[in-house]
Amino acid sequence: MTTSASAPSETRVRRALRSSALRALAALLFVLLIGVLFNADGAFFQWSTHRDMLRHISVFGILACGMTLVIITAGIDLAVGSVLGFTAVLFALLSLQLGWSPWVVVPAVLGAGTACGLASGTLVARFRLQPFIATLAMMVFARGLAKWISGGRKISSAFQAPDGAFQYREVPGLFRAINSKLFGGNIAVVTLIFVVCVLAAWIILARLRTGRHIMAVGGNEEAARLSGVPVGRTKLIAYGFSGLLCAVAGICQAAQEQQGDPEAGATYELTAIAIVVIGGTNLMGGRGGIGLTLIGAMTIGYLEKILSINAVGEATRLMLTGLIIVGAVLFQRVRK
Amino acid sequence: MNTRFILIAVLSVGLAAGAACGSKPSPSGDAAGPSGAAPKFTIGMSQCNLGEPWRVQMNADIQAAAAAHPELKIVFKDAQNDSLRQRSQIEEFAAAGVDLIIVSPKEAAPLTEPVAAAFAKGIPVIVLDRRVLGDAFTCFIGADNRRIGKAAGAWIVRRLGGKGKVVELKGLMTSTPGQDRNAGFREGIRGGGLEIVFEADMKWLEPDARQEMESALARFPKIDLVYAHNDPGAHGAWLAAQAAGRDKDILFVGIDGLPHEGQIYVRQGLLAASFEYPTGGREAIETALKILARESVPKEITLASRVFTQDNIEAGGEWLKEP
Repeated sequence: MTTSASAPSETRVRRALRSSALRALAALLFVLLIGVLFNADGAFFQWSTHRDMLRHISVFGILACGMTLVIITAGIDLAVGSVLGFTAVLFALLSLQLGWSPWVVVPAVLGAGTACGLASGTLVARFRLQPFIATLAMMVFARGLAKWISGGRKISSAFQAPDGAFQYREVPGLFRAINSKLFGGNIAVVTLIFVVCVLAAWIILARLRTGRHIMAVGGNEEAARLSGVPVGRTKLIAYGFSGLLCAVAGICQAAQEQQGDPEAGATYELTAIAIVVIGGTNLMGGRGGIGLTLIGAMTIGYLEKILSINAVGEATRLMLTGLIIVGAVLFQRVRK
Repeated sequence: MNTRFILIAVLSVGLAAGAACGSKPSPSGDAAGPSGAAPKFTIGMSQCNLGEPWRVQMNADIQAAAAAHPELKIVFKDAQNDSLRQRSQIEEFAAAGVDLIIVSPKEAAPLTEPVAAAFAKGIPVIVLDRRVLGDAFTCFIGADNRRIGKAAGAWIVRRLGGKGKVVELKGLMTSTPGQDRNAGFREGIRGGGLEIVFEADMKWLEPDARQEMESALARFPKIDLVYAHNDPGAHGAWLAAQAAGRDKDILFVGIDGLPHEGQIYVRQGLLAASFEYPTGGREAIETALKILARESVPKEITLASRVFTQDNIEAGGEWLKEP
């Protein structure tokens, strides 16, 4: 029985729940509540825990920003983890081992990542390969590239002279800068880079014509084509942007590890996809947003952090993560 | 169709480039051996994967040891972590009639039969690092993770003077090396008065180790030492402590002691110690030479391992005493 007095407020709640953003927020709040309940002797209430969570999730979040654009075009980018590995190695190789100036290295690495994304995009847009297949191929190829340019070894600041003795290069300032914290040690630089990536993706999606094209292509590709949307170019932009962000993430990863690991980023594509989906962006394309991805990143980040500070065993951790992902996505789907 | 033709052309160029890439780094490439003298013996080496730096090092050690013997030609194959692929590699070696096979198996059960078949054909087989079932092979060479873990535990007890708070960052606990490095360590510290305040599975991965260590740092204002099951794990923990400004208060101990990894971290003063998990590459070639010269070799060789600390790293580490 609904009284007339409570009816308007209830519809407001219903209307609110219909919004993906609020549902995503509700999932995040639920995870935060778990954190408050299982606070690991108060560790959850320290700012450093939150700062470290934000640092840890940033690389995944950066990948997820690019992934969001691709997924909204009804595509998928499985190559993000491998391209991260390749660009991390390239970044370490050029700056740690060859000692090039950051003014050359950063554009070169960003260019390499974008090239990988554009290659996937070309296969999808020009040659009509299914995104799953095209980016699967790029995933394997980029991992091969990472292993090839590194010779299968981690690229660090130490290298062996021909006589077998080890020499060390000073870790370049750029590495230390990206690995540092700002504002009195309260926020990691990589987190700020993540925020910049979120803003860039938001501008593309919400403020530029390309964003509307991306939505249209994902919603109904044929209708978009008929109404004059440059479908191929839009897809190229989405995959290229994803590749660019992979390179940004690769640079952050290498700086944080202070080395380029050819195995870096393995399975990161799955976390990036989980972040996008938990946020509420539809895998079928046409619907979603970058704000959702930001919330999704926080949800996954807090979940991992809470399990970690409580030193929960690996088996339980995996099962709980699976359950919570399903729960969050089901919650997203509840109608009215 | 025009586009399809272009696609095929692009793909084949890509594949050709990929193939060219594959053969460049010598330890992971296909054929090796000095080009001058004609090699007398061909050795087939099947590596279970080259994703781990430790296995890249094993191939490099084999390569380096073989370089001094122009009569040897080594053919390297990488099974890319696929037991069935490794199985066919061993069958290929046997069919090609190589003089000796070295195999570092991915898993015991699926590789027992092909190894036994090659052995039955009269081809000597050296099994490296991981075992196969039964005894249808010539020689097994491997190190003992449990013993190394125990030595690390005993060393840590001595280093901390018998008491302290320790964080254990474990390798993948569903893998035997992870289990053995954990069990040996617990055995080594037994009765020593150390307290394990935090333990987590970092799955051998540096970023995971860093994240787990951040959690440990958030929870415990005092940590004396971190024992990680591999050097990348110890390095990840060090990065977390350094970011928190606590790296000078904590000692870091890792396992593996690769020249490009753990030994460097020890030289740089990041790790207090790294315990070597030897690859056995050199010993495999020494044993192979004996077998090819028709000398007798033991059925099983357990590799000795070293501990690297800042005091002994320049002298090449210190051999662990037999327990």
